[in-house]
Amino acid sequence: MGKYILKRCGYIVVVFLIVSFLMYSLYNLIPNDPARAELEPLRQTLKPQEYEQRYNDLRAEMGLDDPLIVRYLRWFGLWPDTDGETFNGVLQGNFGYSNLYKRNVIEVIPDPMSNTIFINIFSTIAALGITIPLGIYCAVHKGKKFDQATQVVTMLGYSIPVYITALVFMFFLAVYWRIFPVMGIKTAGIEYANNWEAFTDKLYHITLPVIVMTFGSLGGMTRYVRSSMIDALSMDYIRTARAKGLREKVVIYSHAWRNALLPVITSILGWFLSIFSGSVVIENTFGLSGMGRLYWQGLNNNDFELVLAIQMFYSIVSLTGSLLIDISYGLVDPRVRVDK
Amino acid sequence: MSDNKKKQFFLARWFKRMFMGSSKEIQDLLKEEQVQTPLKLMAQNFFKKWTVRVGLSVYILIFLFVTIGPRFFPLDLSDQDSTLINLPPGYNMMKLPEEMNGKIADIAAGNTYGIGLDTDGKLYTWGTTRITDKIDIADIPEEVQNADLQMIAAGADHAVALDANGQLYVWGNTRLQQDKYSNDMTKLMKNAANGKTDKAWDIIQLEASNQFSAAVSSDGTVYIWGNGNTADVKVKKEHQGKVAKIALTTDAHIALLKDGTVAYIGNKAKSTTVSNIPKDLKKATVVDIAATSSAVAAVTEDGKVYVWGNATRGEAAIPEFTAPVSKIYGGRFHFTALLEDGSVVSWGNNKYHQTEVPASLAGKQVESLYVNAFQNYAIDTEGGVHTWGLKGFLMGTDDLGRDMLTRVINGGAVTMTVGAISVIIATIIGVTMGGLAGYFGGKVDILIMRISEIVGGLPFIPFSMILSAVIGSTMTSNQKMYLIMVVLGILSWTGTCRLVRAQILAQREMEYVTAAKAMGIKEITIVFRHILPNVLSLLLVSMTLDFATCMLTESTLSYLGFGIPLPQPTWGNLLNGANNSVVIQQYWWRWVFPAVVFGLCTISINMIGDGLRDAVDPKSNGR
Repeated sequence: MGKYILKRCGYIVVVFLIVSFLMYSLYNLIPNDPARAELEPLRQTLKPQEYEQRYNDLRAEMGLDDPLIVRYLRWFGLWPDTDGETFNGVLQGNFGYSNLYKRNVIEVIPDPMSNTIFINIFSTIAALGITIPLGIYCAVHKGKKFDQATQVVTMLGYSIPVYITALVFMFFLAVYWRIFPVMGIKTAGIEYANNWEAFTDKLYHITLPVIVMTFGSLGGMTRYVRSSMIDALSMDYIRTARAKGLREKVVIYSHAWRNALLPVITSILGWFLSIFSGSVVIENTFGLSGMGRLYWQGLNNNDFELVLAIQMFYSIVSLTGSLLIDISYGLVDPRVRVDK
Repeated sequence: MSDNKKKQFFLARWFKRMFMGSSKEIQDLLKEEQVQTPLKLMAQNFFKKWTVRVGLSVYILIFLFVTIGPRFFPLDLSDQDSTLINLPPGYNMMKLPEEMNGKIADIAAGNTYGIGLDTDGKLYTWGTTRITDKIDIADIPEEVQNADLQMIAAGADHAVALDANGQLYVWGNTRLQQDKYSNDMTKLMKNAANGKTDKAWDIIQLEASNQFSAAVSSDGTVYIWGNGNTADVKVKKEHQGKVAKIALTTDAHIALLKDGTVAYIGNKAKSTTVSNIPKDLKKATVVDIAATSSAVAAVTEDGKVYVWGNATRGEAAIPEFTAPVSKIYGGRFHFTALLEDGSVVSWGNNKYHQTEVPASLAGKQVESLYVNAFQNYAIDTEGGVHTWGLKGFLMGTDDLGRDMLTRVINGGAVTMTVGAISVIIATIIGVTMGGLAGYFGGKVDILIMRISEIVGGLPFIPFSMILSAVIGSTMTSNQKMYLIMVVLGILSWTGTCRLVRAQILAQREMEYVTAAKAMGIKEITIVFRHILPNVLSLLLVSMTLDFATCMLTESTLSYLGFGIPLPQPTWGNLLNGANNSVVIQQYWWRWVFPAVVFGLCTISINMIGDGLRDAVDPKSNGR
C-alpha cells in the first residue's frame, strides 16, 4: 500500500508539472507586454532613445526574452531569477501579482476561499443527508409510486441547468415571497455588533445558494446511491441473509449498504474536493465572493496571474482527489488490488 | 363479451386498433407465436415506457421548433430598436376596445400603445402602455378624463390632449420636460380658460414625438415644447404665422407653409438631413407632409410624392400609385398614403408587416387614417376599423427591443448544433482512443488511460472557460462557436473512451471473437468491424446522454459569458444578465421562455437516453 501511494504521488507530481507547463504556455499565447505597460506612464517624459533603452533594460530584467521553458521554471521557482541567485516562484510562495486587486495573489485568495468553504460545507452536508437516505429508500421500494415520482424529480434535478434552477428559486424565495436576499454575502453597509451577528447574517445570505446547490446535486447523487444499492440488494448474500432470518433493517443497512457504499465513495470524495473549488455558476448568479467568482472576475479582467494561480490550485485539488479516491477504494474494499 | 365485440362495426374496430393498440387477447396471442429479433425487442422495450414516449414527442416538437423556426423567424444580428425594449408578451398593440366601435373620433398611436377618443369624449388606451414600472400611459389623470377633449396625440413616452377650452394636458413620462410649455403658451392657455378667444390659440393640429410635442394654430403659429436636449424645439421667428402643418421626426420637425412650400423652420438645420429639401419641390405646390423617424415625405398638388432625409429603411422606395396621392402619413420607418380614389398604399420597412395593407380594405373607401410607429389604423366610410402593422410579440422583447421568440428559436438552433457537433467530436476521439487502448493493451493502454484520466480530472467548467478566454479572445462570434464545439469535444471524450475500452476488453473474451481470430482475420478488423457494432447500442446511449450534457455545458459557458458571445443568441446567453430582481420579476418573459424551452429540451433528451439505456441493457432495468 505504501509503495502504491508513493508511486501515485510521483505520478501526480509529473502530471502537475505537465499541466502547469501547458497552462503557462497557454497564457503566454496572449499578447501581453508587462515591460511596456510599466514604462507607459513615463513615456511622455523620456526621449525616444532613452525610452527604447529603458524598455530593453526592463525586458532583460524581467527576463521576457528568455525561452519559454526558462520562464516557466522561473515562475515555478526552479530556476534562478535574472540576477542569477534568488529563486522567486510558486515554490517560494510567490504566486504573482494581481492586476485587478493591486495586491499579491497570495493575499487575494484567502477571503474568497473561506467563503467558498463555508458555503460548500453546508451544501455538502445537506445534499448527503438527503440523497443517501432517499436513494436507499427508493432502492428498497423499487418500482413503487414514491420511487417513480423520485425518479422523475431527480431527472429534473440533473437535466435543468443550475442557473435556471437558481433563477426559479430566486423568483419565488427572494423576489416573490422576499424570504431571502437576492444577492451578496452580507447586508449592504452593515456594522456587526459581534461575531455571532456576523455569522447569522452570512448564514441568512447563503441559505438560498445552498438550497439551489443542494437541489442541483440531488438528482445525480440520489440515482447513484439508488442504482448501487439495487446492485447490492440483488446479490446472493442478501438472499442468504434473508434466508437465515435476519431482520430486514439489518439486511439493508448492514449487509447491502456497506457494499453499496463502495461506488458512492467516489462521488462523495469528489464532492468534498469541490468544497474548495466552489461553483462558478452559483457564486456568479448570487454574487457571492468565492473562489469561482474570483476566477470569473480574473478571467473577465485579464488578470492572468491570478487566474493561473487559481487554475493551479484547481489542478492540485483534482489530482489529490483522484489519489484519495484510489486510496480509499483500497481501504474500503480489499478486493481492489490497488498495488497492481 | 366476445359477442358484444363482434357487433362493433368493422371500421370502428380498425380505428380502435390503429390508435388504441390491439386488444390484450390478440397481443398475448402474437407474443407467444412471434419470435422477435433483439432489435425489435429493444424497440419494443424502448417504446413501452411512457417517459420515453413523452420525451420523444417533446423532443421532436422542440427539434422542429428550432430547425424549421429560423425559416419563418430569420435572425438579424444587428437588429435592435430602442422604442420596443422590454415589451411583455401579447398581441394587443392594435386591439381597440370594443366600446369604441363605431364611435371613433380620434386615434393617436404611440410607439407600443394607442390612445383613442370616442365621440362621447371618452378616452381609451390599449397596447403596452407601461413606460417604466412607475409610469403608465393608461393612468389617465382625472382632469383629462373629465375634460371635453378635442384632440389627442401620442409620443414615445408621453401623451398630449387638448380640450374645448384650449387647455393642454400632458401625461405619461413628464420627467424630461415633456410638459414644460413656453411662457407664451401658458399665457394663451390662461386667456383661453378665461373665455377669451384668440386666433393665435385656435389649435388645428397637435403632434407628439420622442419627448417633445408640437401644436399649430389657425393663424399659422407653431408651438413646440419638450426635451430640448435631444430634439430641436425652437422655431425661427420669421416663419411664425405662416405655418399650415407640421411633421415631427424623432429629433427634428419640418413645416408646410401656407404658401404651399416646405421649410425647415427650426434652429438646428445643419445637424439634420431633414433640412435638405429637394430642389424640385421648390417649384411645386405641396399639399401634405409626413415624417418617419428620420425621413420626410411631401405630396404635391398633382399627387406626386417626394421623400428626403435619412431614408435608410426603404422609405424612399416610392411605389407606383394607381391614383394621385391626396394625403400622407408617417410611421417609424414607413409611409402610408391615402389616394384620391380612397384606397391606401404603404411602403418602407416591412419588418412588422406595417406596409401590408389588409385585403379587407380592398374596394372600401377610407375615411380617415391614423399612422404612427409600427401601427396603421384605417377607418372606412361604413365605420369599420382595419389595422395592420405590429400587433405585439408572442414572447415579448428583450432589453434591446429584439423579439424573444426569434432569439429563442435561433438560440436553440445554435445550442443544439454546438451540442450535436461536440458530441460527434467527442465520440470520434473517444472511440478511436478507446479502441486503440483496448486493442493494443499494454503500454498504449496505460498511456491512453493516463491521458484520459488527466483530461477527465480537469475541472470542466473552469478549464473550458480558460480555453475560451485565452484562445478565443480575438475571435468573431462564428469562430468562437467552432472553438466551443472543439473545446467541448476535446474535454468530454473520456467517458466514451472508457466505455469503448471496457466493452472491447469484455467482448474480446467472447466466442465470436475467438472464432474470428481462428479464421485469421486481422485484429484491427476484429476490433472495428466485429466488436464495435456490438458496442454500438451502448455508444448510442452514451451519445444521447452526452448530447444533453454538452448542451448544458455550452449554455452554462455562454451564461457565464465565456461561450458564444452576444449578439449571437444561444439558450445560455439569453439568460445572461437575468439574475437581478428587476428582470426576474418585472421582465419575467426574458428568462421564463428560454428557461422553459431549454429545460424541456434537456429533460426530454435525458428521458430518451434513460429509456434507451434500459432498452439496450435489460439488466439495468429500472435503475
